[in-house]
Amino acid sequence: MHIVDGALSNEILAIGAVVGALGVAKGLRDMDYEQMPVTALLASVFFVASYIHLPVGVSSIHLILNGLIGLALGWAAFPALLVALLLQAVFFGFGGFLVLGVNLINIAIPAVLVGLLLRHALAITTQKRQLAMLGALAGGGAVTLTAFMVAGTLALNGDAFLPAAKLAFLSSLPLVVIEAAVTAAAVALIGQVKPELFAVAARTSS
Amino acid sequence: MNRLLLTALLLITSSFVGAHNVVGGVYTIGDTIEGEAGFSNGDMAPAGIKVIVTDMQGASLGQTETDAEGVFRFKPSRYVTHHFTLDLGAGHTLALTLAAEELPAALAPTQAPAATAVTTAAAKSATALNSQIEAAVARQVKPLRRELRELKEAAGLRDIVGGIGYILGLCGIAALLRERKMRKETA
Repeated sequence: MHIVDGALSNEILAIGAVVGALGVAKGLRDMDYEQMPVTALLASVFFVASYIHLPVGVSSIHLILNGLIGLALGWAAFPALLVALLLQAVFFGFGGFLVLGVNLINIAIPAVLVGLLLRHALAITTQKRQLAMLGALAGGGAVTLTAFMVAGTLALNGDAFLPAAKLAFLSSLPLVVIEAAVTAAAVALIGQVKPELFAVAARTSS
Repeated sequence: MNRLLLTALLLITSSFVGAHNVVGGVYTIGDTIEGEAGFSNGDMAPAGIKVIVTDMQGASLGQTETDAEGVFRFKPSRYVTHHFTLDLGAGHTLALTLAAEELPAALAPTQAPAATAVTTAAAKSATALNSQIEAAVARQVKPLRRELRELKEAAGLRDIVGGIGYILGLCGIAALLRERKMRKETA
């Protein structure tokens, strides 16, 4: 899902940087102290999860877990993902410094959307099956959105949108399934063992 | 149960470890430039990818295509630095550079005066031998280059632990700043 340096035009890079910076500012303002350890934890999870790659066609996919991150962090997903993406660029050579903003918004905006939409439903249930379903919806939905945003970015850059979107969507189909399953398992577990993890996030941005 | 499921999933997926950056290299073999392009997980570029060759100023020097193994060949005709650009689609682009000094010696502009005087049979066979040696060495070195490149791309446990360390460190800095602010407020 990372777009590499040198693939996008300057205008798109600038837009990505500005929108990304706004998101990070909003995230930092919303984040309260209690949320910080969770933010750091999920940034680490994202950082490591992206290292696990599944080759699909000419592209390759990896766990993004932005659904889970959005549910737990809300707007704080922006700073968390910024740090993780920056470290991935430094250590793994994924993405790059110039496209950091674009990659950030492609991953963080779906996370925030999913978080805002689903976290209230999440806060009122402790039933395992409902939790798992919400998790699956969040995980699958966030990744699907990200895939379309990546396709849209490439389209803005001149790739024909339909083939690019088709490729992005098809190659992320297996990821959507895996992501939904992993997020469902994680949300069900967290919702039962440590429900306050989601509650903190819901309180700070309601 | 769920924890088990999660672990199992992670185990399954982690066997596909690999990165997805585009990598490649160009080098001179005999009187042609040979290059290869692929992904850092070891897959080579698909056949028929257009390779655009330009000089330093961006003026076109020609173009070529990758074959089934992701290898492309280009016969240089000018003694300038060559830039190779490939677009593998879906945001994967690759730019490679071959400096003028690495071009075949025959193209170098300074050779002309002396060479015409002594074109003996001995000199001819010497150049033939030279190019044979060059080709043989190139063949031997090729897998080494690839291995080196893969090694350079590979991120290891050290990188992962290092990255997590940075994140925890940032968290610590934030805690420190807050602590200081609170102390100021109470004072």
